[in-house]
Amino acid sequence: MSATEVVDGKLYAGASVRRHDGDRYLRGRVAYTDDIVLPGMVHAVLVRSELAHARIVGVDADAAREQPGVLAVLSGAELARHAGPIPNAMDPVPVGGQPIALHCLPVDKVVYAGQPVAVVVAETRTAALAAAELVAVSLEALPVVLDAEAALADGAPLLYEEWGTNLLLSGTAGEGDYDAVAAASDHRIDGAITTGRSAPAPMEPRAYIADWDAREERMTWYGTTQAPHPLRHSLAGYLGLRERQIHVVAPPVGGSFGYKNFGHPEEYLVCLLSRLVERPVKFVEDRMSSLRYGAKDTRMTFQAAFDADGRVRAVSCALLANHGAAAATGAFGMAFAASLALPSGYALEAFHGEYRLAVTNKGPWSPMRPFGKETASLLMERVMDLVAERTGLDPADVRRRNWIPADRFPYATTTGLELDSGDYAGLLDKVLEVWDYPAARVEQTRAREDGRLLGIGFGFEVLPEGADIPGALIGASDISTVRMDPSGEVEVLTGVTSPGNGNDTAIMQIVADRLGVLMSEVRIVQGDTERCPFGFGNVSSRGILTGGGSAALAADDIAVKLRRVAGAMLEVDAERIVLHGGMAAVADEPERALPLGVVAHSLYTIGGILVPDLEPTLESTRTFQMRNVRHHPDEHGRIMPFSTFSNGLYVALVEVDPATGVIELQRHVMAHDCGVMINPRFVAGQFTGGVVTGLGAALDEEVVHDADGVQRTDVFKSYLLPRATDVPRFEMVHQVTPSPFTPLGTKGAGEGGVACSMAALLNAVNDALRPLGAQVDELPLTPERVLDAILEARA
Amino acid sequence: MSTETTIRVELTLDGVARTAEVPSGALLVEALREDFGTTGPKLGCATGDCGACTVRRDGEIVKSCLELAAGAQGCEIVTIEGLADGDELSPVQQAFWDEQAFQCGFCLSGMVFAAEDLLRSNPRPTDDEIRWAISGNLCRCTGYEAIVEAVRTAARRMAPPAG
Ligand code: FES
Ligand code: FES
Repeated sequence: MSATEVVDGKLYAGASVRRHDGDRYLRGRVAYTDDIVLPGMVHAVLVRSELAHARIVGVDADAAREQPGVLAVLSGAELARHAGPIPNAMDPVPVGGQPIALHCLPVDKVVYAGQPVAVVVAETRTAALAAAELVAVSLEALPVVLDAEAALADGAPLLYEEWGTNLLLSGTAGEGDYDAVAAASDHRIDGAITTGRSAPAPMEPRAYIADWDAREERMTWYGTTQAPHPLRHSLAGYLGLRERQIHVVAPPVGGSFGYKNFGHPEEYLVCLLSRLVERPVKFVEDRMSSLRYGAKDTRMTFQAAFDADGRVRAVSCALLANHGAAAATGAFGMAFAASLALPSGYALEAFHGEYRLAVTNKGPWSPMRPFGKETASLLMERVMDLVAERTGLDPADVRRRNWIPADRFPYATTTGLELDSGDYAGLLDKVLEVWDYPAARVEQTRAREDGRLLGIGFGFEVLPEGADIPGALIGASDISTVRMDPSGEVEVLTGVTSPGNGNDTAIMQIVADRLGVLMSEVRIVQGDTERCPFGFGNVSSRGILTGGGSAALAADDIAVKLRRVAGAMLEVDAERIVLHGGMAAVADEPERALPLGVVAHSLYTIGGILVPDLEPTLESTRTFQMRNVRHHPDEHGRIMPFSTFSNGLYVALVEVDPATGVIELQRHVMAHDCGVMINPRFVAGQFTGGVVTGLGAALDEEVVHDADGVQRTDVFKSYLLPRATDVPRFEMVHQVTPSPFTPLGTKGAGEGGVACSMAALLNAVNDALRPLGAQVDELPLTPERVLDAILEARA
Repeated sequence: MSTETTIRVELTLDGVARTAEVPSGALLVEALREDFGTTGPKLGCATGDCGACTVRRDGEIVKSCLELAAGAQGCEIVTIEGLADGDELSPVQQAFWDEQAFQCGFCLSGMVFAAEDLLRSNPRPTDDEIRWAISGNLCRCTGYEAIVEAVRTAARRMAPPAG
């Protein structure tokens, strides 16, 4: 399918319109942060710790300071005289966690290898790099703890001594009495799954520029951020400035995936430095730095109780997640989200989940799509397959038996979420339309007779998205301004930003339809706190949900005015005016029409004559808020912090080579439901991208440390992202179950495909290994792990 | 200013004769971005693994983070900024736009040049050949599917009319 041109009489929304700014991208004319050069700009380079856990004894920068071109060399202790800790993007304390108070450079100790300890500012990056080599950091090594279980054991070395523990956060989720239901059930199973640590690794590393204007006392900040307005608030708090003194500009980013939300130390550091040296200061991280930020690294153990008919009645689980060093980015929320996303889209009588999140001497967790929710999918999908194995039922049938039926939405889960809508069994039907599943099973049996290991695995996900977190600048609402000038051209300003996924184009589609203008007449501005209304940026799949929703409301306001003015000019009731194709026309009388430019011009110039009671502007700022979130705790103390629940079902067909342990993914069939799609092509792109992230986490992406805590995977030669040759062609089908809570029926679409790909792969490989009696439960499923499992089964 | 030693590098950049003083040890990507002021090539890894820094040097595509600027003396360098013919995008560029073959766009230099190169030598590639041709480049956004489609579309459009 090629991108469609929308022709007269059709709507843009729902069509795969191509990117409005694609030409600039293809010509290499898009300026990302690192492409920005400001007059007088200088460069910051970080000096990093080689040890994973150590007390900072001293930083000797004398030699470095004397280097030509060096403006400043500063340690954390020196910087702490100018500012306190970084504000947290989300605070763990209100949910029972430890207080996180991190300085932009550590003051007294380092807690992971590669952590910055000092910064050099110099005229050129080369000069800064050379001087950084001369900074002598003296460290006193402390015992290192890398494993989460070990970190929580008595006597473990403490990262943050003031906590008295390495437990950052813990909690429980669910309702019902697992033991009682289990006792009344026919059978029980248990199991464990471990996910490796993966890195968000967008192709563009983080980059920041701060430009302090000492005369005006204003800070201009340019950088890779998903959330310009929340960042401005955070910077103001940190710097002791008013928000009006700070201008945040977010140029296009080279991918985010959660990594470029806010709360990274260098975002704040560049501001301090610019104030100190009174020059614009740029920091660009290298690939090693970006690969030190991870996610997942979670061990789950579970028990499930079920009846002989395959009905799963209760699940109990314990999650132990390894955060690495603490972070101000709110990454800890991934453990919380994992617990809430359980037990996925399955109707259970009882669910009990316990989670613990430990800090260790690995690099910090970073937010990363799908924000911990892969845990829920992996766990529940493994349960379903194990139940199928034990009952002898088909895994597809077991799922059908356990899914929340389509007629029971909205559905309150045992963890307190109210799932908006869905038809999970419908997803399976969609898959079966494109894949002859019974035939695949026959082929599998035949292959097994030949000694070949074919496996089929299902993976299902329900993704709570559109988050609204009490007390944090992450909300399920946004503001947009839409204005039409006297020429009839339209400008849209949104509080949401685009990480490149096309939400800007999709918002233009929505607005163009509502105003009846051509897309070429619309432009959009995002990512600038001086031009755009306040917004929460792009997190939790909210671009279209709230950005598109608020733009639709604002456009509708303008459409009403255009109709009234056009009605007056054409001497018909406003209700009879249709806006389309750049014209305001009388319904069913297309020859009675006026160009919208004429209508707009008339409103501004003679509006008072035409429609005396009309405010003569064509500008509206509106807020759209999801109403189905709830901050007041229910009787179990639970809040409802998510507003949409898109879902998907994947089936993977793999072949495992018993001699090498190598997995070949032969087919990957994907069925999705993210409600109404404004631009199906963009949605598909989100999913194919998510799938490959999921395949990476399932098959080969893994952050590895040596025993001393030094990261072994710090370049793309050792941290292996999937390449085009590593993945097959995907087969994708969509189901549309509109959200009843959004004006356009859309749901989030930004996190899909990761979790269910991981689950489908884990199940498929275990299905393939079944004839050997082998099992794997640790991701990524590297050839070594698969081979070990095979050898162990043979022994 | 620092006392870095510099060398004078003369080259043709996207069709224009250019000269710049470049730090003597500079990589080609650094010189192009910092000294010649072109921003089409990106720095994604600096280890030759991602392809974001790809340019064409004297007709051959190279990862400019693996080359010294000094080695480009007298060479003809084409970046993604120099691929279009005036107002007209190259067929590969056009197909990438039409097929939504990028999201953030950071990988485009590598992907587009790899596709251009492939179609020069192999006007009717199979999907496997396309995947192989672009596999020196990383894309974290698209999952590659749309890129493969774009290359297929470009090949179809560039093919001489059958007959
Ligand atoms: S920057 Fe040159 S290959 Fe990645
Ligand atoms: S489009 Fe973002 S890396 Fe390829």
